Amino acid sequence: MKLKIIALCIATIFIFSCNEKEEKECCKKDINKTEEVVKDEMTANESIFNLESKWLKQNKDSISLKELSNKITVAAMVFTHCESACPRIVADIQRIEKAFSKEELQNIQFLLISMDPLRDTPERFIEFSKEHQLNDNWICISSNNDATMEIANVLNVRIKPLAGGGFDHSNTIHLIDKNGNIAFQQNGLAQEPTEMIEHIKTLIK
Amino acid sequence: MHKLITILFLFIDLLVDGQSHPTMVNIKGGIFLPLYSLDSQKTIVKPFFMDIFPVTNEDYKKFILQNPSWSKTKIKSIYADTNYLHQWNSDTSFNAQIALSPVVNISWFAAKKYCECQGKRLPTVAEWEIAARASETKPDASKDFKFNQWILNWVSKSNPKVLPHVGSTFKNYYGVWDLHGLVWEWTFDFNSALTTGESRGNSGLDNTFFCGGGSFASKDINNYASFMRFASRSSVKAKYGVPNLGFRCVKNKIGS
Repeated sequence: MKLKIIALCIATIFIFSCNEKEEKECCKKDINKTEEVVKDEMTANESIFNLESKWLKQNKDSISLKELSNKITVAAMVFTHCESACPRIVADIQRIEKAFSKEELQNIQFLLISMDPLRDTPERFIEFSKEHQLNDNWICISSNNDATMEIANVLNVRIKPLAGGGFDHSNTIHLIDKNGNIAFQQNGLAQEPTEMIEHIKTLIK
Repeated sequence: MHKLITILFLFIDLLVDGQSHPTMVNIKGGIFLPLYSLDSQKTIVKPFFMDIFPVTNEDYKKFILQNPSWSKTKIKSIYADTNYLHQWNSDTSFNAQIALSPVVNISWFAAKKYCECQGKRLPTVAEWEIAARASETKPDASKDFKFNQWILNWVSKSNPKVLPHVGSTFKNYYGVWDLHGLVWEWTFDFNSALTTGESRGNSGLDNTFFCGGGSFASKDINNYASFMRFASRSSVKAKYGVPNLGFRCVKNKIGS
């Protein structure tokens, strides 16, 4: 009998302590974050480098958005199984790429962010890169559903999953400066990239 | 001794029940058809737990006290616009009369973070709509004229200056309060509502702005309130704070 009571007491303590642990963890994370913020005052409030999500590159390396800070970034959200708009958006970015010299391109990187984390594996990205002749200056990344939705909302990209596994989505090319701020957004496909190119030129001056 | 043990057992039962889902009820799931979609786009919703009430100012204050970087003066502007917690007097205070009113002027990022910290998440559009089609007596009252009329009446009224407390409208079939009649609520995938600013009627999505965009026909033409919700989801951005937009959280059922 006594044993039972002891067992119950232990169970009670266990329940309490578990719960406490769970609750504190979230706050703890946040406290760490606050410290990080203090240390890292260079990261502006509007910077996408604030996002803490982890991403996987086509070469299977893990990357956080902060690591994009050594170059300016021309980015778009895509899914590689897309048959209509995504190849065009890639072609649109390649058109921008062609407007710059080799030397200038050393300061620019091109980023494709997957909106289809389930199917856009590193292997699939390598295939896609070959198909579209993407050079080493192109980074393709994917993460999980949560991180994908978060970055879509930061970039104001709308994504509607379709029954066949595809997506309806906004076609936007984003220019991100070395501090992670969105410097310019080109909306719609097959636009003259004149304005985008001008903005890039100002940033790499 | 036996009595003592019985009491202890009862106590533990209460504790376990109370601990696992003290403020949530089970929603049985079902099939949801998005407003602008084809039959093939049916979404199957698994059973889940939903908060009985929208999150209140008081609830949100507890979260702020534990997560000060989300307070109104400290939040990063990437996560919220200047309307964030506009109804609060300072980082941690508001008029006592709104303590039990739903928290509004809250961004999607903040709502998402709050739910994460409770070990929960934001409901998907499909989950929210399935829970919200229940009237007081029926799990699916989407074809019920009186029910739709009641919602429409609320939608067409202007916002009260002081939002009523949670639990002031009606409790639906599942035991969830205030899904209609108090505030609109954030959903995880609100950004799946796609229209261009200028699209009208059957004009279709602008194909250069959106990939896809083939069909743009509504399935639920009689449900004006669902059009309103669709329109509201397609017009907000994740960092917006809106005076009549709050949220509640949901949780997966273990094993689903």
